[in-house]
Amino acid sequence: MTSTPIIIDCDPGIDDSIALLAAFVSPELEILAITPVSGNQPLERTVRNALQICELGGRTDIPVYPGSFRPLLRDVIRGQFHGHSGLGNTSLPEPRKEAEDKGAVEFLVDRLGEAARTGKPVTLCCLGPMTNLAMALRIDPNIAAGVARIVMMGGAYREPGNRTMTAEFNMLADPHAAHIVFSSDIPIVALALDATHQVILTPEHVEQFAAVSGRIASTVADLMAFWDRNQVERYGSRGGPLHDPLVIAFLLAPHLFQTKPARVFIEHESELCMGQTVADWYNKSGLEPNAEIVCDVDAKGVIALFLQLFSRYQIERAA
Amino acid sequence: MSRISVIIDTDPGVDDAAAIMLALASPEIDLRGVTVVAGNVGLPASVGNACRIVALAGRRDVPVLAGAAVPLIGKQLFGKYAHIGDFPPDLMPETDYQPARFSAVRFIVEQARAAAVEGHGITICAMGPLTNIALALRMHPDVADGIESIVIMGGAFAALGHRTPFGEYNVMADPHAAAIVWQSGVPVVLLPLDVTLQALFADGDFSAMEAQGSPSGKALAGLLRRFDRGDLKRFGRPGGPIHDAMTIAWLLQPELFSGSHCAIGVTLYGPTAGQTWADLHNKSEQRPNACVMTHVDEVGYRRLLVERIAGLGAIPLTATPKREFHA
Repeated sequence: MTSTPIIIDCDPGIDDSIALLAAFVSPELEILAITPVSGNQPLERTVRNALQICELGGRTDIPVYPGSFRPLLRDVIRGQFHGHSGLGNTSLPEPRKEAEDKGAVEFLVDRLGEAARTGKPVTLCCLGPMTNLAMALRIDPNIAAGVARIVMMGGAYREPGNRTMTAEFNMLADPHAAHIVFSSDIPIVALALDATHQVILTPEHVEQFAAVSGRIASTVADLMAFWDRNQVERYGSRGGPLHDPLVIAFLLAPHLFQTKPARVFIEHESELCMGQTVADWYNKSGLEPNAEIVCDVDAKGVIALFLQLFSRYQIERAA
Repeated sequence: MSRISVIIDTDPGVDDAAAIMLALASPEIDLRGVTVVAGNVGLPASVGNACRIVALAGRRDVPVLAGAAVPLIGKQLFGKYAHIGDFPPDLMPETDYQPARFSAVRFIVEQARAAAVEGHGITICAMGPLTNIALALRMHPDVADGIESIVIMGGAFAALGHRTPFGEYNVMADPHAAAIVWQSGVPVVLLPLDVTLQALFADGDFSAMEAQGSPSGKALAGLLRRFDRGDLKRFGRPGGPIHDAMTIAWLLQPELFSGSHCAIGVTLYGPTAGQTWADLHNKSEQRPNACVMTHVDEVGYRRLLVERIAGLGAIPLTATPKREFHA
């Protein structure tokens, strides 16, 4: 079996951390690097959280490159549901592993440039604001040929926004970066709130994860329990949407997801609709689709997949 | 004399050529590199032109680095003289001098970070769209610490209507980059069209540039003659402006200029996207973020530019040309 080379660009973050822990135990994925960005938390914190999650998962072999320290133009906004540290109420030990000296943007330019030259493109998993990739694309547009595709969590199409009426957090945090990425002609799979709100991690699920996750069970249970939005009128039950981990699930089990192609535009001029993702479902723009938007998710299948992945921590060696 | 460490960020362009030549002709300036951005012309032509300018002056010790090929967000807009493209080889000879295999943005980042550690900041003279500099400032928070100031040819406050009815080209070609640079906290000196249009160069100046046999002076005079920058109806007298070289002149002889500290800004969207404003009369509560030049001593600027370029690579009349003998 050949594994898919991926780079995980993220801002951990509780749901980012769950995505990382799932990817760590997926031999189908070869994680080349983690590139944290300023987003849910300030850069220093997302880098530290990424390092801590690597240690928790026993994957200190994966290099962590610190990324952009702020959005391109907009003032900084932070996540609201990740607790003071960004990892809920968990208290993970100080990381022993250190971040790389090289920055994430420099790494993306170099590594994707190499991928373009050798014809071995890399899949990018984008779980946060897209500043790192946007910067890299503007520094060297040739790196686009080194990206097989982008599988990203962000946006809200037929679903309303989660940070403003019209915008999802990752898109609002850096709408200019998202605009650059969606204008790049790189194929994109978009897991927006339309998809992620179909997969609610309920308190019952959290108990199941706590039961199977072996040596990381207590941390996983703490992270997941903190994620409960307790907003039954919005999500149909207790629990929280499993945003970022769906990117990993899509890579491992695409048959659980139904997509529709559309041209996507990012609003970056209107204050009212800043960061809104606009899909051209019925070809009004005359432009070719630039994204496959996930419309339907087999939620039970996804939960079963993650339970199976996390049960691998029963036998995975400790770090 | 402590020399000023300078990076020129440029999109040559005829008046960019004048600026690079002025810097190369000035012992006060330690030119660390020429970083190139798409602007007046597309990136390949502007990189090639920059290499030719540096090579003609015999200064292959100065690296040329290719930067951003497109603006950050908006659609690409070329300059008023975009049709020039590659300089005509009969005026500016072709060269085998190649750009460094390193990106302009990363060069600026590394120079600035090293300067921050040394405690002796670099000065950037920016004469194209500000894309490279904006990207560099967003790479790492300590990049700004290593930049002493950014001297920018850009903006138009009263002198509108040069490239478009409401904007000056360098800002208009990448207003988002301009916004990033102006909000960065790095001291900005702005030379808008309001001041660059005060100094006009005509035939007498061109002749003086080539009078001492400088290959650079000859090339520049040829370019300025062939691509006439005059506008008798607008300027009311013969001659055309050499905008970009004012950034270098400001470093060399700031006493030629006067202006004021004030808040500046740029419109990012809507029908007048790219329009700049300067609060020259203290009407806003925004803190000053730039020093905007509003007047230049025309005679002094013309003399500085013409005399220095005329001497660039010129062989003094009394000296014997060097001969090399091979055993």
